[in-house]
Amino acid sequence: MERRGSVMRQDYIDTQRQRHGRKAVAVLPIHYPKEILTAMDLLAVEVWGPPGPARGHAAAQIQPYVCAIVRNALAFLAAGGEQHVDAVLFPHTCDSLQGVASLAADFGALRRPTLQYLHPKGGRRDSTLAFATAELRRLAETLARLTGHALDDAKLSGAIALHLEIHALRRRLLTERRHLPASDVELYRCLRRGEFLWPADHRAELEALSARLTKDAAAVAVPLMVSGYVPEPRTLLEALDRLGARIVADDYAAVGRRVLRQPVVPEADPWRTLATLAFAGPPCPTFGTPLGERLSYLDGLFTASKARGLVIHVVKFCDPELFQVPALQAHFAAKNAPVLVLETELEEQLSGQTQTRLEAFVEMVGNRGVS
Amino acid sequence: MILRRLRYEIVSRLVAPALLRITKRRRSQGGTGATSPLGPPLESRHKLKELMSAHYLGGRFADGAVPVAYVTSGFPVELLRPFGYHVVYPENHGALCSARRLVPQLSEVAERAGFSRDLCGYARADLGSLLSGSTPTGRLPRPDLLGCCTNICQTVLYWYRVLADRLGVPLVLIDTPFVYGQAPRAHLDYVAAQLYEAYATAARVAKRRADISDLEVPIRLAAEGTQLWGECLGLSSHRPAPWTCFDGFVHMAPIVAMRGTVACNAYYRMLRDELSDRVARGIGGIEHERHRLLWDNLPIWYQIRELATSLAAAGFNFVCATYTDAWAEPGTTFDPHHPLESLAMAYSHVLLNQDLKNRLRVMTELARRFQVDGAVLHSDRSCKPYSVGQIDLKERLQRDLGIKTLILDADHADPRAFAAAQVESRLAAFMESFR
Ligand code: SF4
Ligand code: SF4
Repeated sequence: MERRGSVMRQDYIDTQRQRHGRKAVAVLPIHYPKEILTAMDLLAVEVWGPPGPARGHAAAQIQPYVCAIVRNALAFLAAGGEQHVDAVLFPHTCDSLQGVASLAADFGALRRPTLQYLHPKGGRRDSTLAFATAELRRLAETLARLTGHALDDAKLSGAIALHLEIHALRRRLLTERRHLPASDVELYRCLRRGEFLWPADHRAELEALSARLTKDAAAVAVPLMVSGYVPEPRTLLEALDRLGARIVADDYAAVGRRVLRQPVVPEADPWRTLATLAFAGPPCPTFGTPLGERLSYLDGLFTASKARGLVIHVVKFCDPELFQVPALQAHFAAKNAPVLVLETELEEQLSGQTQTRLEAFVEMVGNRGVS
Repeated sequence: MILRRLRYEIVSRLVAPALLRITKRRRSQGGTGATSPLGPPLESRHKLKELMSAHYLGGRFADGAVPVAYVTSGFPVELLRPFGYHVVYPENHGALCSARRLVPQLSEVAERAGFSRDLCGYARADLGSLLSGSTPTGRLPRPDLLGCCTNICQTVLYWYRVLADRLGVPLVLIDTPFVYGQAPRAHLDYVAAQLYEAYATAARVAKRRADISDLEVPIRLAAEGTQLWGECLGLSSHRPAPWTCFDGFVHMAPIVAMRGTVACNAYYRMLRDELSDRVARGIGGIEHERHRLLWDNLPIWYQIRELATSLAAAGFNFVCATYTDAWAEPGTTFDPHHPLESLAMAYSHVLLNQDLKNRLRVMTELARRFQVDGAVLHSDRSCKPYSVGQIDLKERLQRDLGIKTLILDADHADPRAFAAAQVESRLAAFMESFR
């Protein structure tokens, strides 16, 4: 499914389909009820790009002022990526994804069946909970047409339990980052494999990595918090590793923003639990979370992780993230925390200019002392 | 409070209209004397200016006198009418700033504060205005409430969250999930429940009692206003069309900003009568209408006059637009006897909250009804919800209707994203293709 490292990922997906008879669903960013897919024996394969220039005829269907996530994803799927999946799911995350979801559904931009998930905005209210439950059920019914069998509540409860375990493992790895003798490249490789692995396989890998957590925390020369969209290009993580910096707090939409920071106790009715889970994650601009709530959440993350600097790493043309950048900058500047804003376009490599800025930033934070 | 209220009422109802009448008299004494390929200007424009100026002038004295709300253009403003809110539309204000070419300077203020130049031009203008206090209206009142509805885009939600944070006032959100085909029951119930919550909050902020039956009058007025606006637009099905869609962009201000009021409807009655009279007398929006076009997406506010004139000179008239038509659609389902349910239905089914299949249907119907031979789709750099999908829409319109189509790259608000030479040559080639 992915251009870079695609053979391994594609092989895995094909094996899942052939050996386990599982259908696969490509899923666009960000939030969606993965538990439903797991319970229906569907492999979720997330499409965050892929990085690099958008290729193929579909790239020309989207204007260049739309983010690279949307342009690349559509181009990639239309140019053959969709052959490895049985359907494509579009969460209505933002205006651009909403537009491209309609393009795919109404104008046949893709040949595979397309599905939508309309997550409610504006936080947890009685009205949103009721709508979320109805929407989750609607999605399950649509998926049932793909699998040929209805969703069983017991299986849903089982899938919820499995994903709660995964949340707990991911939470532990992120919060106990300093106790993990591994580079950011290695940590993120493991965390991001969850974007396409069958959840039980992902859990096994997370357990293996967690087993390496030590009692003692290693000194980190430059502990950083990162907030933004997706840790691409991978060379960004390589550069941080090389410079002796570590991501000790993560608010990437693709990673930390999808990890429950507080355990959720499942209720007897799995649908109620699912609806609760839809609002239980960290604040995200795409949910329309009040800014103050998000700032205080990030504040807590920053303080608890003892980060010394903040990197805001956003994708160009991403409205949800970009609207909040000034507030984040101002908030952390007021706390005397250095802030670096990086706007990237899902390139395959970090540009020379970005690399230089990153180096200067890491050096500046490093000069402020070791924690 | 009472004195402030008195001052607000006097300025809105008496001072502003009087000032405008004086300005109008001075201007008409001066005369324009210019020859133009456009038809004679509409008389109603004076009344429009009076209405909108009174609205903005009154706004200067609104805070402390009446409750003030900032709302998005797709917000069900009928909910605020029973409580006497003075309503400010930041998008309408953005359009005004853009028409006066103030967006670059306001945007620079916002950009210096860290807001990206890639964000919606209206939002940048509004945030720049908020940060600098600069506005062509003299002064905008401080809001007591923010009302945001996601039926035009989700961008407004991010924008209004920033406003709520900076202004420290409550934000009521009406989240309208995107509609494929027809909105299902759960969707409409969800929106209706939020409308109820919003109505209660609006009452609390205004320190008034919320009574659903009070919605009957504004909803009836909004339905009538929408219908009148639709009638005005519909008159362009005549040949020649009595006005251009560029006129329509300007004259839509009351249906956006004053929907659900007696003044709004009185204005559109007057406009409809003037347009009907022009139809009867064969007066066109341009002097020599040879080709009829459809416009898609927002106007290029800072370039309206130039575009209208250069196209009119070659005999091209934009006789319909998806943008102006969008304001004639939702009100058709307003029902004063089922206020919340009908508002939920109407505000969920607005153009930008519906799938592209529906957009193509609307464009096709407009093209047929107004007998157009071409369509220009403005690919709007800072409005993604309106622009994503246009490349396919263009191809389909061309294929299904056999009309000529053009995609024009620009930005609705920011002239810095307008490449005049490129637009000129693309338009010239487009017009040439009609020969
Ligand atoms: S605009 Fe932002 S949220 Fe939307 S798809 Fe692009 S990167 Fe994701
Ligand atoms: S993004 Fe488009 S629809 Fe949304 S406020 Fe801006 S101009 Fe309007």
